[in-house]
Amino acid sequence: MTQQKFFVQRITRLLSSLSKSTLTFKIGFFILLSLVTLAVLEPYINNYLLRGRSSTEIGLFPKLLPPSLEHPLGTDHFGRDIFSLQLTGLRYSLIIGLLAGGIATLIAVVIATASGYLGGKVDGALNAMTNSVLVIPTLPILLAIAAYIRMDLLMMSFTLSIFSWPWPTRVIRAQILSLKERPYIDLAKVSGLNSVEIMFFEILPNLMPFIGVGFANAVIGAMIAETGLRLIGLGPGDIPSLGLLLFWSMGFGAIAQGYYQLVFAPAILLILIFISLNLVNIGLEDMFNPRLKRITGL
Amino acid sequence: MVSKRIIRYIIIKVLVYLITLFVAFSIVFFFLRLIPGDPVSRFIRLIEQRYSIQLAQVTQEIINEYKRKFGLEGDIVTQYVSYLKRVFLEFDLGPSFLNFPNPVQDLIAWRLPWSIGLLGAATLISWAIGIIAGTLVGWKRGSKIDSIMFTISLCMSQVPFYLLALFLVMFLAYIFTIFPPRWAFSPTVTPGLNLAFISSVIYHATLPSLSLILISSLGWLISTRAITITILGEDYLLFAQAKGLRKIRILSRYLLRNTLLPQTTGLAMSLGFIVNGFYLVEWIFSYPGVGTLLVQAINALDYNTVQGVILISIFTVLTANLIIDLVYPLIDPRVRGE
Repeated sequence: MTQQKFFVQRITRLLSSLSKSTLTFKIGFFILLSLVTLAVLEPYINNYLLRGRSSTEIGLFPKLLPPSLEHPLGTDHFGRDIFSLQLTGLRYSLIIGLLAGGIATLIAVVIATASGYLGGKVDGALNAMTNSVLVIPTLPILLAIAAYIRMDLLMMSFTLSIFSWPWPTRVIRAQILSLKERPYIDLAKVSGLNSVEIMFFEILPNLMPFIGVGFANAVIGAMIAETGLRLIGLGPGDIPSLGLLLFWSMGFGAIAQGYYQLVFAPAILLILIFISLNLVNIGLEDMFNPRLKRITGL
Repeated sequence: MVSKRIIRYIIIKVLVYLITLFVAFSIVFFFLRLIPGDPVSRFIRLIEQRYSIQLAQVTQEIINEYKRKFGLEGDIVTQYVSYLKRVFLEFDLGPSFLNFPNPVQDLIAWRLPWSIGLLGAATLISWAIGIIAGTLVGWKRGSKIDSIMFTISLCMSQVPFYLLALFLVMFLAYIFTIFPPRWAFSPTVTPGLNLAFISSVIYHATLPSLSLILISSLGWLISTRAITITILGEDYLLFAQAKGLRKIRILSRYLLRNTLLPQTTGLAMSLGFIVNGFYLVEWIFSYPGVGTLLVQAINALDYNTVQGVILISIFTVLTANLIIDLVYPLIDPRVRGE
């Protein structure tokens, strides 16, 4: 019982330390939160704007209208409202990125825990595996998978996660190894906690920030790969993430014909996503890993 | 005694390299075999499309002949053994579909110089810029220029360069027509060692390499700055300053020399990774490199070429790693003891 109280206490302390975070983190978190909010509200916004029709529906409006009050970014060559499309794209990009990052982090936590926990030969083998996946160029392989296998949203996220787990695994494993040596772990052992309890109540709460850093890393990696795949038209064609919107625009020749907003809008949104994730990532590292502390100019 | 240790170190590294290469190639083989569909019938369909003819009487004989050509005879074990023999002993990646019957390795060999030229040069330039800029802002840490540069780097270093490439095309090739938007040289020049051709190549390579240089030099800036700040805290630097050496001498002799060492490994790594992440930049600019080849092969479902490009990529990265591992102890006395 007291253990659980400790656990809750630790988590609340963690949350309160977030409020004392650096400016880097705050800015990144704010941008990310705004984007996620937009993505969450997308169905309601588009429902209102398009009166219940889908944003990807072809021929909903006249083709290639210039920007106006009615269509803030105009319409594209299929008569779709570009602004609504961007919201849908943002939603799918974030869903795939966060899902793939989440699965990858889960894989990373399991491998790192097994590694740090069993130690010895198992640790050596898992570590060798992690390092070899890190040095193998995965992007061409990912492209080949996406080209030959029909995918839906879940399959896509899962495939992306297969290639983005090694880095978070390294971050989390290093932390587990350093936590294992701390005196309070010995104290917990002496006080009769079994190893599962130690893992769950003592190590996991202190691992949270590093899981966060690993998660941010995995999401960035997955989204870079996802956008790269979609940019050349691979992956599920019925899931319009921002990368696929870029592919459509390029296929239409948007830049050459001067419809710049078709490329501008998804590219700007993607850049915002990458910047905010990176700032969150660095902010977390600054907060919880003073050894890594970079002297930020912010 | 020492020489024995060195020989053992080299043997272990080379063994690990060969094993990793073998495992990676095997994974690629089995993975691509898991893909549904039959490459031979796909190839025959491709021919039908290309020449718009109907091969109504495709006999079993023809199919078998192609199977033999593509190394698809027999069960999976026989295929695997013959694949390993072809790849490791004969360096033969099989015929391409895109450019039948030219073997894949020729196709890649024609394109590789363009990729290595464009991306290698861009990587080297961004490395040099990043190291010099990083050393300077580290030296002036806490100043206005440092905080501005560092903030920009932190924000932009994780943005994929193909997004930046899109903006560059938009602004510098279409809105302001300063640079050409595609291909590697102008159609009016004759390829060869003449001034017109070389200047045309450089002119066409400017935009694609710029997108890479702008982003990856920021990454180098961050890491170099961190190394510089660590070195600035070292005693020998304090001593150098106490001796009253000129700033330029401290910068070049003491700082740059010590940041160059650890950053050399990073450079070798990213040169190895040229084949991995940069294919999209080539594709955006229709640059005739391996990246564009990979995208074309994927769109045509050209199984052999896709496999070939993947194998070449893996081989390049692993070999770069091996070279670092072997050379680094020679240039950095600090790791020699390990």
